[in-house]
Amino acid sequence: MRTLIINGSPKSKNGNTEIFIKKFLKEMKAPHEICYAANEDKLQIANYMKQFDTVIVAMPLYIHAMPGIVMKLIECMEPAQDCGKSMGFIVQSGFMESVHSKYLERYLSSLTKQLNYTYLGTVIRGGSAGIYMMPEKMNKRLFKQLSTLGEYFERKGTFNMETVEEMAKPCKLSKGKSKLLQLLSGIGLGDNMFWNMMLKKNNAINEKLDRPFVDKLSD
Amino acid sequence: MKKVVIREFGEIEIPCKYKLDLNKTRVKDCTGCWSCWLKTPGRCIYNDLDEFYKAYLDAEKVVIFAKVSQGFISGNLKTLFDRMIPLFLPYISYKTGESMHLPRYEKYPDIEVYYQGEFASIEDKKIYEDYIYRTFYQFYSKCEIKTITQSSLEV
Repeated sequence: MRTLIINGSPKSKNGNTEIFIKKFLKEMKAPHEICYAANEDKLQIANYMKQFDTVIVAMPLYIHAMPGIVMKLIECMEPAQDCGKSMGFIVQSGFMESVHSKYLERYLSSLTKQLNYTYLGTVIRGGSAGIYMMPEKMNKRLFKQLSTLGEYFERKGTFNMETVEEMAKPCKLSKGKSKLLQLLSGIGLGDNMFWNMMLKKNNAINEKLDRPFVDKLSD
Repeated sequence: MKKVVIREFGEIEIPCKYKLDLNKTRVKDCTGCWSCWLKTPGRCIYNDLDEFYKAYLDAEKVVIFAKVSQGFISGNLKTLFDRMIPLFLPYISYKTGESMHLPRYEKYPDIEVYYQGEFASIEDKKIYEDYIYRTFYQFYSKCEIKTITQSSLEV
């Protein structure tokens, strides 16, 4: 089984998607080729992928769907001539609940069938925006899940649905959790701390609420 | 009424303050750098959309003529959506029971969408429409997807 991995992140090798891919490949015996949508010609990637039996596209969630560059790549894809090819996806998002990626998942499932590929499923992981800057320890569980997923994929050619379900938790926020999170952000804790820390680091904290595109007088 | 038109198809002219013709304009792709949130709040590293942002925020209504491309919005329009994040804050609200970025500005325009293209199934049409509604819900805009008739375009 020849597999092509496509990294759909605009941040290419420098983002969380690359970390996801590296961990997914970690326990595999055979090496796999990775293409980068951000650096390579989209039409060339779309043609090149025809040589492979399986294609895995990994990407960050941008505005509830794929990044623009991934849609531009999808626009270049043609239905497979031969049957028996498969395609799967790995989507990581900033918002912690995976439900935000469900719109994209529905589209990817339908697209895959239209392209005459077998749909392997979409691995969805929320709360992933800060992975690249978190200490290894905090990512331990996620990395283990990804390498387990990859090892299983190499043996069976599919995603292990148990791991997929586990990674997608929480799908939605419980009432209690959303109330707690709202309370924390109201007093400047929770994810606000992360944004403010970054803004301070960049000397931009005083401009954090700037509205550069409206007339100040009429605002 | 102050209108902005974003156009990927058709020639029906609507009087508007600003027109973004996506057949002639290739919007620069978002690089995911987060400068617009964390380094130069509200401003993208690119300035190709500055006039568009001003017009969008000033408009009462934004009319979008969107293509259907591989069953979804086009890559170029998707890039435009990606490039809207400077108009919102990184901070997240959980008030509605789910994560949602806070607005940076006081008001956002109403959106009217017309699209052109075929779908393989009713479900595919729903995927397309649900995505557009979802996006503008998170963008704090009222959104309506309409079928084209001459009267629906009258000012």
